[in-house]
Amino acid sequence: MTRYLLGRLLGLVTVLLITSFLVFSAVHLAPGDPVSFLLKGHPVSPETKAAIRAQYHLDDPFFTQYLKWVGDVLHGDFGRSVQFRHDVGSLIGSRLPSTALLVGYSAVLVCLCGVLAGILAALRPGAIDRVVLLCTGVATATPPFVSAIVLVSLFSVQLGWFPGPGDGGTGFADRLYHLTLPAFALAVTLAGLLARVTRSSMLDQLGREHVEVARSRGVAEGDVVRRHVLRNALGPIVTVGGTMLAGLLVSTSIVETAFNVSGVGSLLVQSVTVKDFPVVQAITLITVAAFVLVNLVVDLLAPLIDPRLTLTRRGAS
Amino acid sequence: MRTSRSTALLAGAVALAATVSGCSGASSTSAGSAKGGTTYQVSADTPAAKGSISSFSWSLYAEPYSLDYTQAWDYPPNTVLANVCEQLFRITPDMKIAPGLAVKSANPDPLTWVYTLRSGVKFHSGSTMTADDVVASLKRHLDPAVGSAWGSAFKNVASVTKTGPLEVTIKLNKPDVLLDELMAASPGTIESAAFLARTGRDYGNPKAGVDCTGPYTLGTWAQGDSITLKKNPTYWDSTLTPKAESVKFVFIQDPAARTNAWLSGSVDGGYLVPATSIGQLKSTSRGKLYFGPNTAASDLAVFNLKGTLGDLKVRKALSMALDRQSIIKAAVAGVAVPAKAPAARGAWQTAPDRTERYFSDLPDLVYDIDDAKKLIKEAGATGKKVVIASSTLTPEITVVANAVQAAGKQIGLDVQIKPIAPDAYTALFTDPHASAGIDLVFTNGYINSPDPLEFYQSFRTGDFGNYGKYSNPEFDALYDRATAVADPAARADLTAELQKIALRDLPAIPLYEAPHSVFLGSRITGAPAGIAQLYYPWAAKIGSAN
Repeated sequence: MTRYLLGRLLGLVTVLLITSFLVFSAVHLAPGDPVSFLLKGHPVSPETKAAIRAQYHLDDPFFTQYLKWVGDVLHGDFGRSVQFRHDVGSLIGSRLPSTALLVGYSAVLVCLCGVLAGILAALRPGAIDRVVLLCTGVATATPPFVSAIVLVSLFSVQLGWFPGPGDGGTGFADRLYHLTLPAFALAVTLAGLLARVTRSSMLDQLGREHVEVARSRGVAEGDVVRRHVLRNALGPIVTVGGTMLAGLLVSTSIVETAFNVSGVGSLLVQSVTVKDFPVVQAITLITVAAFVLVNLVVDLLAPLIDPRLTLTRRGAS
Repeated sequence: MRTSRSTALLAGAVALAATVSGCSGASSTSAGSAKGGTTYQVSADTPAAKGSISSFSWSLYAEPYSLDYTQAWDYPPNTVLANVCEQLFRITPDMKIAPGLAVKSANPDPLTWVYTLRSGVKFHSGSTMTADDVVASLKRHLDPAVGSAWGSAFKNVASVTKTGPLEVTIKLNKPDVLLDELMAASPGTIESAAFLARTGRDYGNPKAGVDCTGPYTLGTWAQGDSITLKKNPTYWDSTLTPKAESVKFVFIQDPAARTNAWLSGSVDGGYLVPATSIGQLKSTSRGKLYFGPNTAASDLAVFNLKGTLGDLKVRKALSMALDRQSIIKAAVAGVAVPAKAPAARGAWQTAPDRTERYFSDLPDLVYDIDDAKKLIKEAGATGKKVVIASSTLTPEITVVANAVQAAGKQIGLDVQIKPIAPDAYTALFTDPHASAGIDLVFTNGYINSPDPLEFYQSFRTGDFGNYGKYSNPEFDALYDRATAVADPAARADLTAELQKIALRDLPAIPLYEAPHSVFLGSRITGAPAGIAQLYYPWAAKIGSAN
């Protein structure tokens, strides 16, 4: 177990290192000049330009810049935002609560709607199954930005049930209310996917011998579903669900922008546009780290759900 | 200024730009009306407040990037800072330059400006303002490491020195009247020298904040959400003692959401009313919409003088083919007047009594499709391509782009619309990569001083705001002469000549002049209505409406 964990953590660090290099290179290779944005196009003397380039170490060799950045990140210093002239850590920190709430809300929706719809479809073949299949088919094919447009025009503009863009801000309940449409927009695609995974995983288990045996022994149908079907079907659901949770983080940039939620995702979009590279680098790196961590947690959870899987065996394979 | 012009454009996004239509005196109420269109009133002030109030909330269309005055060049930071930090002079609601932290300035020779400071003014932290603070504040614009957005305003400065306990002298290399006028705008902002030294490069960010002399102090800055100001109990100017104990600025980017916030009463008011909401806000019982003097003008900036629009005949033809009345109706709900020149009439506040004459001397921008067609044929430009940028950033941009395309079609030009992402629209003005291949861009630019010379500065050869790289030696020479003339009336005469050249050469095609705007919920009143709010402590005048 310890060996397995150590191995996984080592892998995690390697992935982050490679990612950090890729992120850093990509941001630097992208066209455009952060200094010209910083100066908002105001005419400045060459000395001013040079002084600003020096502040952001833009004239150092590429590798020196990269090493300095990695060194600072290891000390918890993500640098200084070009546009906000403020350290990136506190900038992201101030935007994190909105994003965390949005992702959490959305994750609950994905799990609830996805798993319930999947179970329903698996247990009720026929009309209900077909309706669920149709709905999830549409849901999985709908990207978040399309959901966003549809949800806003229907529930905000037409019906007026929910507020338009913005993340509210007065009290937890109000924030939740404001984040409802964004959370649904974010959840639609993934809930559809999770429903499909749940359905097929359940169907797979329903056809297994041990289920037949349990039924033939007169075990109540509810118990069969809970103890013999659902429990065994949970493995793939948790694995896929975990990956999706990480995927939610990525999609927030689209949804937050569409709904004007001032979270990390919209900050990323805003920063890419103006080439605020310290912010872009930090958010990308944090997202990748979250992705890798979620995967690790899922892998650690798997044997708890299905004791037939043991960590050592999986670690050795 | 180029600065302000690109700014403006940003703002234009959200804003109606403005002008005092017709009448020159901004203090008087005047009415503008589009032919057969909307009638609207322009006045410098809204009804005075009847009493004090504990607090009110105000919308901003974006969070300020920083509250450092050297970076304050746009509506969001200036709308906040106008109440917190003060300049040597201030621009009053009727667009006059009045004493601020300086009681007077003297100009013993064209290269010397001497500022006499007000005594007994205290910073929010309690220390008393001295000449050292003024020198430190002004010198920051000269420090390359600060990267001041206003650096170019100081390009002719040789030295800034303390010449007495309450006296500061600026020496110039070259006469520059605009610099003195900009002492009433961000370039003239005064901050405590000790605070600048203590906060260093964190100055003006959410952590360090600012320490100034204004009627309000900076309270909390909740990033991504709001900025709260608190009343300064020791403010020096008793005529502007705040009527509200605190002011909360909330950032609402979406125009519809901003309007909804006003209509529902969740936010008490805000400047820059979205054009699409004018009708709704005019008829609501939840508050009142006011229009005020504006220095901003909406133009089509020619970005490429090497392409199809390089031929003056084509620019003239396009200008002739634009139905400005219809554009005003569609873009700003009729609340504007057709422009006659690139800079708005409202930008001419240094010589208000002469403005009307200058403008009546100018030929009207006629709408004549037949003559425009002829010009295109003469130029041999039939079927040639012109690319105009469009963006959903503000509805006006889309309306104007479509109108230009329609006009082009009528006269034989192939006008293509290039959609630009809202966030990327501003980059058109700062990044040559972003604007490559684009011939025309809708701009909505204001100037910071009441002097139109500031606007015409941007048509000089090599100026930043000169997007199309227009170059005319006659214009440049005349500009240099004007900026050396201290007498406002004589300077205005020279600026009128610059205006004629610009109208002849059309480096920008004038569209319309819209007023500044403010919405006040029924609870509050007293806000100045015009663009002077950027450099005047407007929030101090807001109080209870009952």
